[in-house]
Amino acid sequence: MKPIMTDLSRRAFVERFVKTFLGVSLLSGPRALRAAGAPPRARAKSVIFLYLRGGLSHIDTFDPKPGRPEMGGVSAIGTSADGVQVSEWFPRMARQMHHVSLVRSMTSTQGIHELGAYSAHTSHFMTPTIRHPALGSWAVKLLGSENRLLPGNVLINGSPQHPGSGYFPAHLAPLPIVDPGAGLQNSTRAAAVSEADFNRRAALARAIGSHFVQQTPHRDAAAYLTIQQEAAALMKSEDLKVFDIAREDARTQAAYGSHTFGKGCLLARRLVEAGVRFVEVEDDQNWDTHNDQIKAMRLMTPSADQTMAALLEDLHQRGLLARTLVVMATEFGRTPQISTVTAGRGHHPGVFTWWLAGGGVKGGYVHGKSDAIGETVAEHPVTMPDLNATVALALGIDVGHIEHSPSGRPFTVADKGQPVTALFS
Amino acid sequence: MKASVMVLFVGLAAPLIGAEPPRFEADVLPVLYRHCFSCHSEKQAKPKGDLRLDSAAGIADAGVVVAGKPDLSELMQRVSLPPTHEDAMPPLKGGAQPLSEAERATLRAWIVAGAKMDGWVKFEHRDAPLPEPGAAVARAAAPEIARQVDALIERHHAAKGTRLNAPVGDEGFLRRVYLDVVGRIPSLEESNRFLASPREGRRARLIDELLSSEGYVSHTYNWKADQLRLNPRLLAAGQPGWLYDDWVKHAVRSGLAHDEIVRQLITASGYLWENGAAGFYLRDLGMPLDHASNLSRIFLGTRMECAQCHDNPLEPVTQKDFLQMAAFTAGVSNLSSPSGYSNDNVKQWPQLKALLEGMGEDKALQDGVSRAIAPLKRLTRDTDKPLTFPATYAYDESARGQPVSPRTLFGDEAPIVDGDRRRAFAEWLTSPRNPRFAKNAANRLWKRVTGAGLIEPVDSLTALPPPEHRELLDTLTSALIGFRFDERAFLAALLNTRLYQSEAVRDRPEPGTPFALHGPLLRRLSAEQIWDSHLVLLVPELDQRKAALRHEGSNLNPARLRRLTDMPAEQIISRARDEMAYRARRRDFTLRLTEQKKEITAAQARGDAAAVRQLQADHARENDNFFSPELLALEMGGAEPVPETDPRWKSLPRDFLRASEIPLPLPLGHFLRQFGQSDRREIDAFNRDPNTTHALALMNGALAARILAPDSHLRRQLAAAGGSRDRMTSLIYRALLVRAPTDGELATLATLTASSLTPEDDTIWALLNSPEFLFQD
Repeated sequence: MKPIMTDLSRRAFVERFVKTFLGVSLLSGPRALRAAGAPPRARAKSVIFLYLRGGLSHIDTFDPKPGRPEMGGVSAIGTSADGVQVSEWFPRMARQMHHVSLVRSMTSTQGIHELGAYSAHTSHFMTPTIRHPALGSWAVKLLGSENRLLPGNVLINGSPQHPGSGYFPAHLAPLPIVDPGAGLQNSTRAAAVSEADFNRRAALARAIGSHFVQQTPHRDAAAYLTIQQEAAALMKSEDLKVFDIAREDARTQAAYGSHTFGKGCLLARRLVEAGVRFVEVEDDQNWDTHNDQIKAMRLMTPSADQTMAALLEDLHQRGLLARTLVVMATEFGRTPQISTVTAGRGHHPGVFTWWLAGGGVKGGYVHGKSDAIGETVAEHPVTMPDLNATVALALGIDVGHIEHSPSGRPFTVADKGQPVTALFS
Repeated sequence: MKASVMVLFVGLAAPLIGAEPPRFEADVLPVLYRHCFSCHSEKQAKPKGDLRLDSAAGIADAGVVVAGKPDLSELMQRVSLPPTHEDAMPPLKGGAQPLSEAERATLRAWIVAGAKMDGWVKFEHRDAPLPEPGAAVARAAAPEIARQVDALIERHHAAKGTRLNAPVGDEGFLRRVYLDVVGRIPSLEESNRFLASPREGRRARLIDELLSSEGYVSHTYNWKADQLRLNPRLLAAGQPGWLYDDWVKHAVRSGLAHDEIVRQLITASGYLWENGAAGFYLRDLGMPLDHASNLSRIFLGTRMECAQCHDNPLEPVTQKDFLQMAAFTAGVSNLSSPSGYSNDNVKQWPQLKALLEGMGEDKALQDGVSRAIAPLKRLTRDTDKPLTFPATYAYDESARGQPVSPRTLFGDEAPIVDGDRRRAFAEWLTSPRNPRFAKNAANRLWKRVTGAGLIEPVDSLTALPPPEHRELLDTLTSALIGFRFDERAFLAALLNTRLYQSEAVRDRPEPGTPFALHGPLLRRLSAEQIWDSHLVLLVPELDQRKAALRHEGSNLNPARLRRLTDMPAEQIISRARDEMAYRARRRDFTLRLTEQKKEITAAQARGDAAAVRQLQADHARENDNFFSPELLALEMGGAEPVPETDPRWKSLPRDFLRASEIPLPLPLGHFLRQFGQSDRREIDAFNRDPNTTHALALMNGALAARILAPDSHLRRQLAAAGGSRDRMTSLIYRALLVRAPTDGELATLATLTASSLTPEDDTIWALLNSPEFLFQD
């Protein structure tokens, strides 16, 4: 893993970045030139990536269309940011909007859950020949993590199809936390096993395992041996208590909420506080609202609103928001028309909303626009690669840096997406 | 700008210098198919730029290829522009992918060599049906089919100058065939029995025995469940969703042929308790299009979901093609029409309605009746509702809102079966003449036992099959058809091949390269295989242990639902009254329980032990009397855990079962989920990547502790066998890794456990934590 960047190396990097970036823009036409500008300072040290699985309706959340029949009778409310409205389902997030940059002109061509989720995480289309790494694996690959013992890349309540480390080595894959309330599972020795027993057995397992690995070039076989050593080191680490959200006071726990997403976001905050580079939290609710949109929103939005607002508030109170970039992502939006058959909304990749907060992005800002009913992009289209490139750049990743897959194919983080520099304050 | 970019690009693209110029059909056509036909073929009503590249005449008319002169050929120029250039082809905006360097080199070399078509006239977009099948072949012919496959593979290697890996030894074969057929390692007894049996023909005998075992049902169920996305919780709410799981298990156990399973799923109607296959539709409530693309993936090996919303930019498959396929099933009540949940589905409804009206305004009773018949309202049946072109349909505005006529995408047209769309579709889909149905099944079964399909991904069958292994896959396809889709017979053939019985390929093949046919691929076990292989060490006769019935005493008990289905209206009303009384009583009961708790707590607080005992006895009697036998007979309770009574398993937790017996969804953090079991939201959504949490679970988790416990099944077996330290070590190796320890390992063990008081525990722990346990080779 690369060491942490010092200020000096970061400066050197920014210089290299300018060169690479201008180089690219000269070759590839006016679009890149527009986006180049002066590169911002990398302010984010960590990312909390909130993933709302299923395809979050933009109209019912952060891109309301007040008074339009498409709203199905739901109204919009004012927020702590001048001139920015959100749907009435998000009263607590409304009070945090002065921290948030909404990107209401997200657009994609992938209207299938697994394909859209794959693009959201990797910036690539899913293809049968290669699996691309998710953004978190890029971040730890290129930047390392501030905390050397804790894994730099953590996935809380993730789905099994998360692309993980893709073609990068397995140790860059996110550490999955399945139940944030239980912390890191199985991280303490069984009561009957003494430390001496444990060490002896681990050494034995390693010796026997390495016979197998020597005759097995498959990279996953060796990975299991490496992982075992990492796990043993982690078990002895003081940092393990970072995973224990029960150490938070009752008020903080209550503020985030007792559902999985709430606990996950609280754990995410503890992890970035301890210097973990990239934490993704997936909501445990399914936003795939094909049936009965209004009822589904009534059921699901309160906890999402509570948790996301609590996270922003808590990060802000602790002075962590300036160095933590929070991103809310989903695979696509939902159709403006409510189905007359199912009273739900269908998949709609044409336009949807993601948002960013903290980590050096503007607060109370709206980038891009959808049309009057939320059907198409009206202004400043932003693709998933563009947005992910923005996140990478905010972290100080050289978006022109090339990594090669094992088969020698060259790739850059966020697949040549153009960072939306207008989002940086 | 354009010229300079061109120069740059020509400089970058290293032309492929091969001895042979590329051939049109084998090398060039696939490139055009993948990158050009989506917009430039007869599939579009109006091909873009009026350009058709799917026929020799089309290419000639357009003049985009100048033989011998790639730099003057517009085709070459346009595909060579950087993807952001406005004239670049294919345009990325629509989701197409630029040509790879190798593809451009192929195109260039072909043009340089004179752009010869070798007599090719046009591309046939509908792949041709297969010929009528020959006579059925008995399962006994499996060894004969295996010999045919051996011969083909031998020819492949002779032509390539390569060869099969060395034959696998008996122990390696034993572990492999158990994992592949029954989904777990063999138990110590099973290993001992095989290794002690007469050598002649014992592998073939074991294959037959395993294919007929209950373990095969379990492992095959997992395999199918991942494809069918079986998860009772994801079925329509308020329905006994597990009956669909049970239906699939029963189909596998009873040896229902694959084509018959698919026919029954496609044509399923009725209630789940009459026909579990109806779950096929209840699983996809309100999602007719996803349902269609999923069934096309798993039964035809064809991914069509791109075309759900627009023409596929990567293949000449149009949105209309997709809609026409979806139109066969889209009318089913629960997919696209709200009529799937309605009073009208309850056959007693007219009488019920009349009776209720005759009783005057009684809202409570109406609600009670509505609740009593709720499960009957959800019915899977055909409706007349046609699928219509969406309001956003971009390719023909006049079609918007118009009904879509069903039509098949390839092979034969669907037969006409008395206007029964689904039957027609099922007949076409499962016909041995369908060019993709048997092929998909054969390729998937091949993958199941060798680790990779002959075509990968297994759902990438197209009208233009890859040239590699075409003959082998055709032979396998005919074999499966010959066996009349008997999967066991087909697997018997595969398992008897020399390829299957060769040493495994221990490296990971480069993605995108064809199967090299040296041997089966080494791979990590599935989450289910890892779980089940641990349980072999804990549970005697594991495969026989079943989950407690989930519906005992529940209001979703199928027997109760069957009675309800045929109950006269009057009886339903009286039953609804009983249920209302039950619910009222239940409420009082719950309140009384809280009071009882308070009474006891108060007595405890007083320190009055005698009063506590008295209250406990009173409450027990009171609670026993609370429900009359009549109320209990209503079977309104939820599923209660039934205690284990079988002496073999009495001391074991209720959920120490094969993974196939544990109902989904599993709680967060369950061992199976940690190791990447699919949550069955999407097809084959499992994950087998290594993760630190796996090491933690294996080192510190509950399963390892259970196996090490002195009274565990494994420990009892070891104790019963007895013997020297080396004999113990050998037995542990056989039980966990299904092989003998090497001399080097024995020496390592002796050194590292020299000062240990628990060498046996150390060895078991170390083997459970060796990567070897987690991989199949």
